[in-house]
Order: sequence, then structure tokens, then C-alpha cells
Amino acid sequence: MVATNRVAASATRTASKGDVVPEPTVPVADQVLDCRGLACPLPVVKTAQAIKTLALGQVLELLATDPGVEPDMRAWTSRTHNELLDVSKQADVFHILIRRAR
Amino acid sequence: MWAAGSEAKVLYVQTHGTADPGRSATPFFLAAAAAAMEFEAMIYFTMYGPTLLRRDVVDHIGPKGEKGQPLRYFIEQATGLGVRLLVCQPSLELNDLRLPDLIDGVEMIGGAAFNDLAVSADAVISF
Repeated sequence: MVATNRVAASATRTASKGDVVPEPTVPVADQVLDCRGLACPLPVVKTAQAIKTLALGQVLELLATDPGVEPDMRAWTSRTHNELLDVSKQADVFHILIRRAR
Repeated sequence: MWAAGSEAKVLYVQTHGTADPGRSATPFFLAAAAAAMEFEAMIYFTMYGPTLLRRDVVDHIGPKGEKGQPLRYFIEQATGLGVRLLVCQPSLELNDLRLPDLIDGVEMIGGAAFNDLAVSADAVISF
């Protein structure tokens, strides 16, 4: 599975001519959860615990190296009705942004 | 025995015991992940399964032996998220165990309750 869920849509690129259009950005995380080096099911378990410490609407950034973390977090956010905002991978580290939606 | 209103209900069945440590921890992993997904999860220990819950065993075996965490770590990871652990009397007798020989919090059920849990679960996964 390839990380494709860029949320900050590029719709703003079509602003009127001559405007300076900022690069699309992903939301800034309110909290970072470092699960690098941890294996399944810990990233899921720790995300479930961490998200409850955020206010509704706030964003959690999960850092993880578990190779199964992307499908896991897609399943987890879908089932828990939280919002998966972005998945990206830098070197061996997945950066997963999740907005607490309930 | 299932709570009303959970997103989904998953019943795991563990039949393997202390003779096969490599098969000891996976039901706890999966049940912990289920609970983290706000599913309701229970693990039913039958046949040799109850031997994994012995209070004099959980600190001394683990899926990777000396190289990894003891089984207690994986059990508490699951129960800490609300996973319930179930046994029945005949499988305790099979292993010459009594409920007080097991770690705290294990619940006793019988065959009727097991079947009721199974038919009302969304999934039953047997190991």
C-alpha cells in the first residue's frame, strides 16, 4: 500500500493569477507519539490510548517503523471513526496524522 | 455476556498450553488490537489453554523464551485494554488446575455460555 492520503488539497493552487499560492501543508500535530521500534500491536494500542488524551479536533502524529502500521492505522481509524489525515514515510519511519473525531 | 453496543465482538479460542510457548502470545496480541479498535474481545482457554494462565507460569514462559517479554506482559497488555479471559471447569480438571491457581481476573464459564458467546460474536477465531 502506498501512502496517498494527502489531505491538504491542492485546490488552492487554482487561485487567481499572480497570487502567491502556498505549498499544500499537512496539519500540525498537537501531540507526537513515538512508536519507532515497537512491533504490532503496540502502535495500535498506544495510539488508542494517546488519542483519548487529545481534545476533539486535535491531531496526533504517530511515528512508527512497524512495516504493517499503515494498513493497521487505516483499519483502526475506520473502525474507531477517527480521521486519518496523512500517511508519509521518511527513511524507515512512517508519519501518520490522525485527527480525533470522536 | 457481551456488552450491548460495542462496535464488534470477537471471541478468540486458545487451545495450546505451556508445551508450545510459540503459540502462547498471539491471541493476546490480536485481542489487544481488537480492544484498541473499540471491539469487545474475549479469549476462551480450553484443552491445554488454561495452563498459560497459571500464576506460577506467566512470568516464566514467553513466546520467544529468554529473548523476549514474559507472557505476563502480553496478558496484561490485553487485559489492561479490557480483554476478558474465560475458562471452563472441565479444561481446568484436564490440567489438574483450580481457579485459584490462575492469575486474578479469569472468569469461569461453561459450555452453554461459550456457545452463546460464539453464536452472538461477529467472529470466532480459534488457535
